[in-house]
Amino acid sequence: MNVLIIDPDDARAALVAEGIRMDEVHQAATIHHWPRFELAQWLEINPDMVIIACESPDRDTLDALQVANEQAPRPVAMFVDRSDANTTAQALEAGVAAYIVDGYAPNRIASILTVAAHRFNLMQTLRSDLSKAKADLAARKTIDRAKGILMTSRGINEDEAYKLMRKHAMDSGRPIAAVAADILSIADLLKTGGV
Amino acid sequence: MLSLRIGFSPLNDAALIVVAEALGTYAAEGLDVSLSRESNWSNIRDKLSYGLLDAAHVLATMPLARGLGLGPTLGQIVAPMALGANGNSVVVSSRLKAVFEDHGASTLIATARALRLVIQNRRAASDAKVTLAIPFTYSPHHFVLRHWLAAAGIDPDRQVQWVVLPPSRMADHLRDGVIDGFCSGSPWPQMAELNGDGVVLFSDPAFWTLKPEKLLGVRGVWAEENPDGVIALTRALLRAAQWASDPANSTDLAEILSRKAYVGAPLEAIQAALGEGGAGLVLDPQTTTFPWISHAKWFMGQFVRWGLTTGDHDFDAIARKVYRPDLWREAASGLELNVPEADEKDEGGQTAPWSLPARPEPILMPANALFDGGVFRSVAS
Repeated sequence: MNVLIIDPDDARAALVAEGIRMDEVHQAATIHHWPRFELAQWLEINPDMVIIACESPDRDTLDALQVANEQAPRPVAMFVDRSDANTTAQALEAGVAAYIVDGYAPNRIASILTVAAHRFNLMQTLRSDLSKAKADLAARKTIDRAKGILMTSRGINEDEAYKLMRKHAMDSGRPIAAVAADILSIADLLKTGGV
Repeated sequence: MLSLRIGFSPLNDAALIVVAEALGTYAAEGLDVSLSRESNWSNIRDKLSYGLLDAAHVLATMPLARGLGLGPTLGQIVAPMALGANGNSVVVSSRLKAVFEDHGASTLIATARALRLVIQNRRAASDAKVTLAIPFTYSPHHFVLRHWLAAAGIDPDRQVQWVVLPPSRMADHLRDGVIDGFCSGSPWPQMAELNGDGVVLFSDPAFWTLKPEKLLGVRGVWAEENPDGVIALTRALLRAAQWASDPANSTDLAEILSRKAYVGAPLEAIQAALGEGGAGLVLDPQTTTFPWISHAKWFMGQFVRWGLTTGDHDFDAIARKVYRPDLWREAASGLELNVPEADEKDEGGQTAPWSLPARPEPILMPANALFDGGVFRSVAS
């Protein structure tokens, strides 16, 4: 079994490859990754199955191989799962589609596509967790700096400074990080003497 | 508010879909629309199949291919309107363009004849075949190129190498000599020319003055469940067309299209495509949005001509299942639009503006002629 993953996102492709290899049934599979479609190299790889990210602009090039040509003599067809599980629909929702070459082993295709869809969802979760963590960290830094400014300018302790900001945030109905950002920008304005 | 998701491909001819959002005409018709900018046509096809989209900007040939049983077909797509006419251009390498100029070839027939000589010379020298790129197998682009080549006696199946490429990669392949030319929706051809990667050889109007191109494709199940929604959606887009076809709004139209969330291309290229001598996109609701059954039949005739399907289909039934002039008529009433009396007309042969029977007033139609003088008549008159 020869699987080609076409995905401009290298990290996600690696995650999918790892997921496929974790399943004992597919341990013998050879997995290739292309960030973009290379028709000239198609026969060198001669895949039995292709997993492609829906966001890849090259999907139409792959899809067109349903009409076999000189460079791809074996016809390629999108895998459409008509069972109740409807793997195809779930995968599309996750942003991935599968193609089979020459009608290769459709029952195994479904399980690989399921793995790919899970991995695409996992990547999405990891990415959103990461960006949330980054935003949280940035917010905490802003709050800490604003606390410091309040402590110095009003001669209060850390706890009092935080409570002051929190009260202001609640009264104005805004996130505490936004209040802290305001304090920083105003402090900056006062420090440079204004313009 | 009725919520729905509409997909589009980042091209100038998605204008009505994006303008309706920018101007708020969806909301004015009681629709809560979220747009989805898609990277390829296969996504649009499949998302419509599986209900991840309710409607989309589609190549006119896509729902027809589905009707003919081509590709991974699931469910029905209906088209209450066309999204304008024209908008594509054919781009060739500067080298090929120079050959055409050496032959003094400027018309479509003359350039096709000159290309025939290029093909013969390359064959004699055992060079690679002339290679042309299209964005999708079942596309008007494909049919336009084939029709043009065949006019000079070139056999598009044996004498030309075809490759499907995303428009975003066409100019690179042309510059690198991997392909000799391509046909794509705007503004890609104009960007290729501005970047010096190729030369626009001709645009849609030179092939067919009022060439059908994109449709509003609506998922059949959604249309059945939301009969008022389909009409509201069509009305919102017809209103967008009334605004977009007003020359007074041309600067604003180009600016809206160039936004990152929409076409996301340089304003200069978008303006080059929309302006005089550009890709000829026409967005007039009165003359370019009616879903003519004769357009559907012309396209299906091309599927048969090029061996993509057989001739034993009930083409009239397929055309009428997909193209829905009845929905256009219902949506257009109350928008000060005249309503065509017939569902079909002759395609081609009208070299000057002409009067189309319609209610309450006849419609003054622009010329409707193909470069080779051909006339396609789908009904006996």
